Amino acid sequence: MRNFTSYSSAALFSFLLHAAVVAALLSSWEPESKKIIIQPQYIEAKLVELAPKKKPQVKPPSKPKVDTAKKRREQEKRRAAEKRAEQLKRQAALKEQQRKDREREALEQKRREEAERQRIETEFAETLAQEQADINAREDERVANSYMQLIRQRLSDNWSRPPSARRDMEALVEIRLVPTGRVVGVTIVKSSGDIAFDRSVEQAAFKAQQFEELQQLESRLFEKHFRAVKVAFSPQDLRL
Amino acid sequence: MNEENLSILALIANASLLVQLVMATLFLASVLSWIMIVQRGLFLNGAQRSFRDFEDQFWSGVDLNNLYHELTERAKQQGAADGIENVFRAGFREFNRLAQSDKADPDAVMEGTDRAMRVALSREDEKLTIHLPFLASVASVSPYIGLFGTVWGIMNSFRGLAMVQQATLATVAPGISEALIATAMGLFAAIPAVIAYNRYAAKVEVINTNYETFAEEFSSILHRQVHAR
Repeated sequence: MRNFTSYSSAALFSFLLHAAVVAALLSSWEPESKKIIIQPQYIEAKLVELAPKKKPQVKPPSKPKVDTAKKRREQEKRRAAEKRAEQLKRQAALKEQQRKDREREALEQKRREEAERQRIETEFAETLAQEQADINAREDERVANSYMQLIRQRLSDNWSRPPSARRDMEALVEIRLVPTGRVVGVTIVKSSGDIAFDRSVEQAAFKAQQFEELQQLESRLFEKHFRAVKVAFSPQDLRL
Repeated sequence: MNEENLSILALIANASLLVQLVMATLFLASVLSWIMIVQRGLFLNGAQRSFRDFEDQFWSGVDLNNLYHELTERAKQQGAADGIENVFRAGFREFNRLAQSDKADPDAVMEGTDRAMRVALSREDEKLTIHLPFLASVASVSPYIGLFGTVWGIMNSFRGLAMVQQATLATVAPGISEALIATAMGLFAAIPAVIAYNRYAAKVEVINTNYETFAEEFSSILHRQVHAR
């Protein structure tokens, strides 16, 4: 009786312990995996103000004070009347002038606005096009690099280093390819100084025969990067 | 190159069947040995405690007849009894039976009592040491099983290495890493088993000595009684 209970509790404890161990292993004991961090390509955001600045409003001219004299009323009156008439006329003329000014100003303003907007728009479009071109170029570069990497990998797989190879030797070869990826020619551009080494490099390039993957490449890119590929062979770039 | 997932789970899932079998065996061994470890721990602790309680009761000057009846009642209620009280009850029962017949020779009575107690003692010893051999074999064998899994895994990964032209670390590393999990599991199963086995073996020895000492003491009491008549 007592034995059975102790067995079941022991079994429970054991299962829980193992479940905990397994959970700990699965959750946190993973090795740090190497992740290739791709730098995001930033597009700088600028706040472009499309609305033109408002002109300060023109203040209406203040009216001149009417001079009122106490004495000589009639004369004053008449003069005042004359003056008023004159003033009125002047005011009207002034107003007319101001109206015209304002109209002209508004027109000019509109034109300026238009020009400004157009300028900003063209600038924006230009920047956009420039950026797109940049992105395309970078993308091309990336694709070309990945194919380059592949070619290098294949060559180094095929390369059997001669016993005379030393760590500091380097041979630069130019491999000519056709769009099917076939190797049509190999020339040593820069010799390593060791004949056996140079020959092994040439052999490696010929042994590769054809890089079928290059067929997937756009012809534009192929012409640009892969018609003639230069590859440097040196023993130290291999993982030994 | 395909994306290498190096999490433990992925490594185990990608291992070859034999290595997986080895790992499963080791996991099972670990689970079972932990069951034994906990169960034995509880049992041995209980045995020690009950021995101490019984000794206190025995030497408190209680009438042995009363003690015998009390213990028998308790054993009947619980269905079974463990530990030193079995030795006491076996010895006392035998002694009473032999002593009740009038023509009993004192030496014969003592001999019978001792024999009865020896039998009870060896039963108790059996109860104490059960499962300990299992722990011992887990402790000694599971590292070997794990090593076997590892060797097998590494063997396969080196065979794969022979196929490729350029040997890089990256071609063998996953295989070796996966193979080493087997050794890790073997050690994981073995270490607690070794510790528990050593500890429990020592404890069983102590308890057995205690039982034997008590049996001797009890025998001497009965001896005094049977020769005083």
